[in-house]
Amino acid sequence: MIEKPRTGMDYHSLNAMLNLYDTEGNIQFDKDREAAREYFLQHVNQNTVFFHSLKERLDYLVEKNYYEPEVLAQYDFAFIQQLHDRAYGKKFRFPTFLGAFKYYTSYTLKTFDGQRYLERYEDRVVMVSLALAAGDEELATSLVDEIIAGRFQPATPTFLNAGKAQRGEFVSCFLLRIEDNMESIGRSINSALQLSKRGGGVALSLSNIRESGAPIKHIENQSSGIIPVMKLLEDSFTYANQLGARQGAGAVYLSAHHPDIMKFMDTKRENADEKIRIKTLSLGIVVPDITFDLARKNEEMYLFSPYDVERVYGVPFGDISITEKYYEMVDDSRIRKTKISARSFFQTVAELQFESGYPYIVFEDTVNRANPVKGRINMSNLCSEILQVNTPSVFNDDLTYEETGKDISCNLGSMNIALAMDGGDLSKTVEIAVRGLTAVSTQSSIDSVPSIKYGNDRAHAIGLGQMNLHGYLGRERIHYGSEEGIDFTNIYFYTVLFHAIAASNRIAKEQGTAFEGFEDSKYASGEFFDKYTDQEWVPATSRVEQLFADAGITIPTQEDWRELKAEVQKHGIFNQNLQAVPPTGSISYINNSTSSIHPIASKIEIRKEGKLGRVYYPAPFMDNDNLEYFKDAYEIGPEKVIDTYAAATQHVDQGLSLTLFFPDTATTRDINKAQIYAWRKGIKTIYYIRIRQLALEGTEVDGCVSCML
Amino acid sequence: MTEKLTLVSHVDAINWNRIQDDKDVEVWNRLTSNFWLPEKVPISGDIQSWNTLTPEEQTLTMRVFTGLTLLDTIQGTVGAVSLIPDALTPHEEAVYTNIAFMESVHAKSYSSIFSTLCSTKEIDEAFRWSTENQNLQRKAQIVLDYYHGDDPLKRKVASTLLESFLFYSGFYLPMHWSSRAKLTNTADMIRLIIRDEAVHGYYIGYKYQKGLEKETPERREELKEYTFNLLYDLYENEVQYTHDLYDGVGLAEDVKKFLHYNANKALMNLGYEALFPSTVTDVSPAILSALSPNADENHDFFSGSGSSYVIGKHEETTDDDWDF
Repeated sequence: MIEKPRTGMDYHSLNAMLNLYDTEGNIQFDKDREAAREYFLQHVNQNTVFFHSLKERLDYLVEKNYYEPEVLAQYDFAFIQQLHDRAYGKKFRFPTFLGAFKYYTSYTLKTFDGQRYLERYEDRVVMVSLALAAGDEELATSLVDEIIAGRFQPATPTFLNAGKAQRGEFVSCFLLRIEDNMESIGRSINSALQLSKRGGGVALSLSNIRESGAPIKHIENQSSGIIPVMKLLEDSFTYANQLGARQGAGAVYLSAHHPDIMKFMDTKRENADEKIRIKTLSLGIVVPDITFDLARKNEEMYLFSPYDVERVYGVPFGDISITEKYYEMVDDSRIRKTKISARSFFQTVAELQFESGYPYIVFEDTVNRANPVKGRINMSNLCSEILQVNTPSVFNDDLTYEETGKDISCNLGSMNIALAMDGGDLSKTVEIAVRGLTAVSTQSSIDSVPSIKYGNDRAHAIGLGQMNLHGYLGRERIHYGSEEGIDFTNIYFYTVLFHAIAASNRIAKEQGTAFEGFEDSKYASGEFFDKYTDQEWVPATSRVEQLFADAGITIPTQEDWRELKAEVQKHGIFNQNLQAVPPTGSISYINNSTSSIHPIASKIEIRKEGKLGRVYYPAPFMDNDNLEYFKDAYEIGPEKVIDTYAAATQHVDQGLSLTLFFPDTATTRDINKAQIYAWRKGIKTIYYIRIRQLALEGTEVDGCVSCML
Repeated sequence: MTEKLTLVSHVDAINWNRIQDDKDVEVWNRLTSNFWLPEKVPISGDIQSWNTLTPEEQTLTMRVFTGLTLLDTIQGTVGAVSLIPDALTPHEEAVYTNIAFMESVHAKSYSSIFSTLCSTKEIDEAFRWSTENQNLQRKAQIVLDYYHGDDPLKRKVASTLLESFLFYSGFYLPMHWSSRAKLTNTADMIRLIIRDEAVHGYYIGYKYQKGLEKETPERREELKEYTFNLLYDLYENEVQYTHDLYDGVGLAEDVKKFLHYNANKALMNLGYEALFPSTVTDVSPAILSALSPNADENHDFFSGSGSSYVIGKHEETTDDDWDF
């Protein structure tokens, strides 16, 4: 039946009052804190299973098959008890209703009937730490300290699953290549199902698949192209979900110079035919520099048949640098080609982004220039922050692997910038985070998709992310995108990079091995370090210098880099990839952060998710006195967002999910201009385009916070 | 309906380059950029959630939607069309054709919710209930009578009250579910409908006020009295209807507050002062916040498509933009 409040207002209503001004025109932050308290009083406390002692609790959970006994067996009980007391001693409280609600609805361990809670927040943190540390008491203690203090937050799949007996995988993200044959296409659909079932988003590259009308077995006009493959994938993702906890989600990437590129984008048209309409699959395009060059000259751009290209060059279409080979391919009569206007291509991209937010964009040449690892990057993932090299698989007739290629998985976790700065020991926070993420990689074994397992075993790639940039800047009364804001972003990411490489280097020494292919990387050659040893990186503003000095955080010097370079060249680094900045949805609410390094989307964010309904979330650290530092992304505008991301991008080996925000008065040209600006500033990928439409004057809800500009 | 619909007797080619009333263009642009079709919302994502509702809650939800279907059908086939002959400008006529069409889209979208979530038998049952419920039928009849009457301004009053007031006893429920994390994709679709209805009610009310300016003081007084009388009539009926629907789940009192709130809103659209004091319009904040028609909702790739969809304006880039 419908839940009725016991006394006074129920927590949903209290939370919703955040979105309504009080009589003095102030935002009612206290109502949200009250909502969080009421949520515990009215709901959580009454629905939590009570145990007399930790021992009783753990025995019960293991016996009833809720916890993995193997995780606990690695430690003495006395140590677990001590860790438990340490976690509870920190007196953690959820500062917002959404944080608490999200944690208890989506993360905590529940009885099998879903009715009662078996964990409090502290219990989850301890269990995650015990699972990741794999018997290392010192690491387990450090992980508890970092996570409970909020400085480091593992990504959803890890935080949700670790230690539970009935669970999905810890890995966030998977990226798969598809080759131009039916075996590979069939395998990909199977992999999409298997990986969705285990949680995590899956992205697939369609660039290699022959275009519609291409020959099959030399008979012309046989192939139906990529659209039917997209349909199959979309249905696969809808079918498989992670124990109902998360809907399966997938993305597909296509090269801008694939002949089906316009059809690909038209699947997102509002009035597209049902047969080709793609509703839930995310789309991304891979755009090389040459496309910009052709648009600049207002020329036509040629689209090349992947079928012919593979026959001429002997490698799949996606593994070719189009910028490099463009004119050669134009002149080659063996390659079938069609042409479209380059500028109208970009305009179509902008139109579609206006209508649907898609496609994502990967700036292919920027990405490959910045790639320190040997090989080619030809796609990204569901959130456009993972950028790693891959290699193709070859299948036998019975669908077994003749040659296992390298596909990509990535374990994510994010640091809370504000709390990491407050902690004062950035080196330690980064190290513990890197070790936590590395543990996910070494403990993962995705046997159902051998190419993923193969890739992970050799690369140990991780993606250390960052969040709460805007919250931190706002608290310090610095405007997002201002000179000081960008300066801080630059120095912060610079410092994090140093410590991340140092940590990975220490792990390589301990393990006695580096990632496979280290010898061919720019880390081994030393080239990667040139920009840090040849150039001095120091704060440009006194404010930022002061911020680091006050926090007691030292900024690495050129000499520090020289020493690190020598160590790395000698011992290598354990992780092929280290950083990637994800958009941080759910975990930033639990962690009380602003998402990623984005500006806030709204002072009071309206959050809609399948399991939550409509919930309201106040920007972290915002109060009625510092509102002016919490301008939203639409007011801040795309340029400052791009400038901020550009400052961070130069120190991140993979990508950063970058969403651009426009008011509905923007046109496709404004979007195109922002894309050109982003590409010129060295941005690697663009994630969603968001358009905000304000209510027509006279139709808005009175006194509503999120209705105001 | 035996009498013939009165058609406009004389038509000049509509010239969008000669605008008499800027509001026509503003609203036309808003309505066209808000265009949507039910197929865009992945209602199937609500099937699991639908199954968590009790049978009574499911029945309630279906009844609410059949009621809304009836109102949208009236508004699409009679209401908006009946306003065309009285339009003050040719552009106003064009706006009404858009409104009429979107009302038909709304009527169809309820069917798409039904066909996704319920069985044919259940759907037929709910429609049978809607033809048998006296209060619903009476509501429809009151409005239809005024549409067939011969006073153009009274038609606008009826239309505004329908758009801004009568729908909301139905809209309450999906907003309630959405604030309780249920049927959230359905709520997205309803929010798209609310976004449209908010503009429709606002526009028709605005045109009513324009028409009123040309009337004598006596006639203005008459129309005001007429408006309030009609509102009382509809209100009484609406209260009964609300009890019919919501008594079983104990929400009737809160829905009534919501009715008061929207009655005031309808009067505001017509240019009149509020009728209900703020003490009886204190709608649950969860509902009020859920109602916000703004496209500012944030959602990620794991959730539905959201209710924030706009069609963009095309503009070609110039050589300067590509100067790098």
